[in-house]
Amino acid sequence: MSRPTKADWADDEEFDDPSALPPQQITTNKDGTKTVVSYRFNDEGKKVKVTRRIKTTVVREHVNPQVAERRTWAKFGLEKGHAAGPSFDTTSVGENIVFRPSVNWKAQAAEAEKNGGEKGSIKDQLKDKKVKCRICSGEHFTARCPFKDTMAPVDEPGAGGAEGGAAAGEDAAGGLGAGGGSYVPPHLRKGAAGGGERMAGKYEKDDLATLRVTNVSELAEEQELRDLFERFGRVTRVFLARDRETQRAKGFAFISFADRSDAARACDKMDGFGYRHLILRVEFAKRAT
Amino acid sequence: MRPILLAGHERSLNQIKFNRDGDLLFSVAKDKIVCAWWSANGERLGTYSGHLGAIWTVDVSPNTVLLATGSADNSVRLWNVKTGECVKVWEFPTAVKRVEFSPDGSKVLAVTEKRMGFLGTIAVLDINYDGDFTNQAEEPSLRITCTESKATVAGWSYLGKYIIAGHEDGSVSQYDAKTGEQLENVQAHEFDHQINDLQFSPDRTHFLTASKDKSAKLMSSRNLAILKTYVADTPLNSAAITPKKEYVILGGGQAAMDVTTTSARQGKFEARFYHKVFEDEIGRVKGHFGPLNTIHVHPAGTAYASGGEDGYVRVHHFDKPYFDFMYEVEREQLRR
Repeated sequence: MSRPTKADWADDEEFDDPSALPPQQITTNKDGTKTVVSYRFNDEGKKVKVTRRIKTTVVREHVNPQVAERRTWAKFGLEKGHAAGPSFDTTSVGENIVFRPSVNWKAQAAEAEKNGGEKGSIKDQLKDKKVKCRICSGEHFTARCPFKDTMAPVDEPGAGGAEGGAAAGEDAAGGLGAGGGSYVPPHLRKGAAGGGERMAGKYEKDDLATLRVTNVSELAEEQELRDLFERFGRVTRVFLARDRETQRAKGFAFISFADRSDAARACDKMDGFGYRHLILRVEFAKRAT
Repeated sequence: MRPILLAGHERSLNQIKFNRDGDLLFSVAKDKIVCAWWSANGERLGTYSGHLGAIWTVDVSPNTVLLATGSADNSVRLWNVKTGECVKVWEFPTAVKRVEFSPDGSKVLAVTEKRMGFLGTIAVLDINYDGDFTNQAEEPSLRITCTESKATVAGWSYLGKYIIAGHEDGSVSQYDAKTGEQLENVQAHEFDHQINDLQFSPDRTHFLTASKDKSAKLMSSRNLAILKTYVADTPLNSAAITPKKEYVILGGGQAAMDVTTTSARQGKFEARFYHKVFEDEIGRVKGHFGPLNTIHVHPAGTAYASGGEDGYVRVHHFDKPYFDFMYEVEREQLRR
């Protein structure tokens, strides 16, 4: 062996353990105080040195010996065997009460109440608040905004293009992070997996080529509608709303076309078409929000 | 001051009492247990169970060895304060509404209800502190029968010389504690307004009554002279004299049966502080959600506790402004 003094690295006494902390040091100062230096790890895992100066004062209190004797009594009854100190289920500390005896306490209390009352009035609180529209930032309520139907609120997700396509809207919304104080639904938050599941699922992208047909007869059949609209192009979906109980048509239907131009043509031709004694009304379906 | 809330009872409080050293607080309520608390921190020392009905009243002997309770189960029980054991049961024909130890602790008076053909009585029981306290006399050593109006509250005057009783009809009477003879009867409060509480000053030379007629009266034990009157705007359930500072504390509120029809704000569920001498109201302490049923002041005058219909006991340790408050005349007198 070339180095007989160091037998094995594992036996090395000076092995530097990163998790070891230096021992606590206590020094007594001249003025009677003590300085305690201790080390600990903080939340980030860093070693922190804590220096505390402690001054000890002895407070002597004369207690009636009977009272002192009673302090040693064991608990009994429902409290039997419970640990010393107040129990949380029976003892709590109330709110601080300001009690200043005074001859004219009534006047003071009335004044305090008056001040409190002024603060409490919502009307007074809102006196110097300006109404601001969330859509156009004008000085009116959002519900009264002239652009209410055409624009979404400025700071809401998907505000950029209500008509601009679902995909684009989603991209924009996905980019919205935690920034901004307003609430962002979970599926729109940054990092949420792909915008979550949509209820409409696979039909969603067809919305632009979907016609809403109303004033449909109760006796209408899906196949009949399909036959009627197939003339203008390939129909991908026919949905006829039916009553859950009677299975009769409710009077409206959605027809989805593969091509938007076909749908436009169908809309043009079929609006006002007589079908089973009723005149159909056909229009482009509005996107469900 | 931050009150300590004691929630050891499930029903409304009936009486609370500090012991003579003020380190312990005893509370009784309509639920059948007695609680003992450390007054300094609100820790519960223990409970005394055995009563079969609502407990109306509690008192502790001056040496904090025995505890007496009176209950709606027609009994007075004597308890060992330290262990929580019941050492004696006295049966009465009717409910017991008030018990109080004499100043020397050798006797206990018990006020019994007038009911079922029995007249209201004040019975005096002798207390024996020897051995394990179970060897107590069976029969009361004195029985005072209230023929006119039943007694609702009673207590011992200075040196246990008189028994002072407050009656259902608003009168206060003085009995000789040895013979039971009625010496005086004064219509202190309005007729037919029950006296709900009667508490003595530390030296028992005068006492304070609280009545349904919305007033409290300070009266002399010697001749039942009305010394002071404190007028409130609500029926009073309890009144206490504070040692150290010359105040009285009154507590009350709408009767429990009317509480549901009034808001807490109107209910006047506050402890009212009056100056004992000048009869002025000097402040109120809020906190309870129901009428205050009972108030007791720490014998050193540093704290008071109140028990309410809401089932809470609130222990208030007074802070500096309470002790600092003085009338201008008081200050002048101090300067001289």
